[in-house]
Amino acid sequence: MARYGMAIDLSACVGCAACAVACKLENEVPPGVSRLWIRLEESGRFPELHMQYRPEQCLQCEAPPCVPVCPTGASHVTSDGLVLVDVEKCIACGACIAACPYGARYFDPRGFVSKCTFCEHRLSQGRLPACVETCPTLCRTFGDLDDPHSEVSQAIRAAERVDVLKPELGTRPKVVYLNAPAGFGLRSMGVPR
Amino acid sequence: MTGAPVTTLYGLPGMGPFWHWPTLLHFSLVALAGGTALLAALRALGRERFPRRLAWLALGLVALDLVLLWAGSPARFRLTHVYLYLAVRPTSAIWWGAWGLASTAVLTLLLAVGRGPRWLWGGMLSLTATITLVYPGLALAANAARPLWTPLLLAFMPVTGLLVAWGAALLFRQRDLRDPVAGLALGGALLGALYLAGLAFGGAAARAGLAELWREGGTAYLAALLAMLLSPLLVRRWPAAGGLLAVAGAVLARSLIVHIGAFMPPAM
Repeated sequence: MARYGMAIDLSACVGCAACAVACKLENEVPPGVSRLWIRLEESGRFPELHMQYRPEQCLQCEAPPCVPVCPTGASHVTSDGLVLVDVEKCIACGACIAACPYGARYFDPRGFVSKCTFCEHRLSQGRLPACVETCPTLCRTFGDLDDPHSEVSQAIRAAERVDVLKPELGTRPKVVYLNAPAGFGLRSMGVPR
Repeated sequence: MTGAPVTTLYGLPGMGPFWHWPTLLHFSLVALAGGTALLAALRALGRERFPRRLAWLALGLVALDLVLLWAGSPARFRLTHVYLYLAVRPTSAIWWGAWGLASTAVLTLLLAVGRGPRWLWGGMLSLTATITLVYPGLALAANAARPLWTPLLLAFMPVTGLLVAWGAALLFRQRDLRDPVAGLALGGALLGALYLAGLAFGGAAARAGLAELWREGGTAYLAALLAMLLSPLLVRRWPAAGGLLAVAGAVLARSLIVHIGAFMPPAM
């Protein structure tokens, strides 16, 4: 079984939001909510101004806090390590939304909780997630983290710096950020092996 | 431009409120139901004649709470999901709460109709009612990323939950509850103060949570603690007034913690 993961090179991201638009279209995400969003942070003082774009989404944690709190088993982890929601089992209690440290889940107006799935329906066809395929600067790489020859493993190895969000929570995200500008918000966690 | 970072977003992270007024009401109603059921259980285990209308009242409150949960759920028209609770998921506080409420309903019904051994139903009800009182704190404290939902809520929620129910019982001339209500009110106020201290002396996230609590409802929270603190002074001479003050303080403090506690500092 694969252990799917994604790396986002922040030094290449230009914040064009093509990934966010592709996700919205591919997954028919309702208005008012997002599976993927771009955080833009400006800091500093002239002439030392800095700007950082950071795409965020479900980080497909290896220790997802959203799964054990689910009372019906709707939130689950697949054999490929994908954290998914079975909409037929979801009672929309919101426990998983409360538990997610990354704000990655939302109520779908159709009566269930939803979030990024790494475009599981595309993976089953041998295709890449829509955000990866769309990115014009190729800042996103995707693949099997257990395969040392996969594109994502090679990108992580080649990066000067690798970070995850909120590493202190021990969720072990499988979406990692590469080459974040030094001194900015992300905290280093070492390369996930 | 100052040196402070300015954050804007394209698209929306799920940072907005996800539990709305039905959930807030549930957190008070489940306390009322659980505390009334525990009172019924203790009366059932006593030697005196069992007041069956207390069991009916507890059953009514549990039923009302379940109806509220159903009506407030975005999945309310998919009733087939009820069977999903049959799976054993002990890591989920909501699973415990669902079973606590369901079994409390069955046991209060058995006590209300007067069928079967009273001591057995009373003993079992004391357990299920306690689960009903404890589970809200468990459901909140499980969320490590939300700094206002601290482990202290594991104690604060049951104590204030019992205070809500037993304080309300003082309105109905349950005078033997005056001392327990006074004790619970002092305990609630003390735990509420410790909760603030824990946030103030916690890490950066806890302090950010405290700032949020202060900004969104600091005055109301202090008023809630004051109400709990003052109610023991009233319960001896004016039990109904003392009970009402205790209920108001406990409900307000619980609601503020649930509502404002959804706050989460952004990922940095």
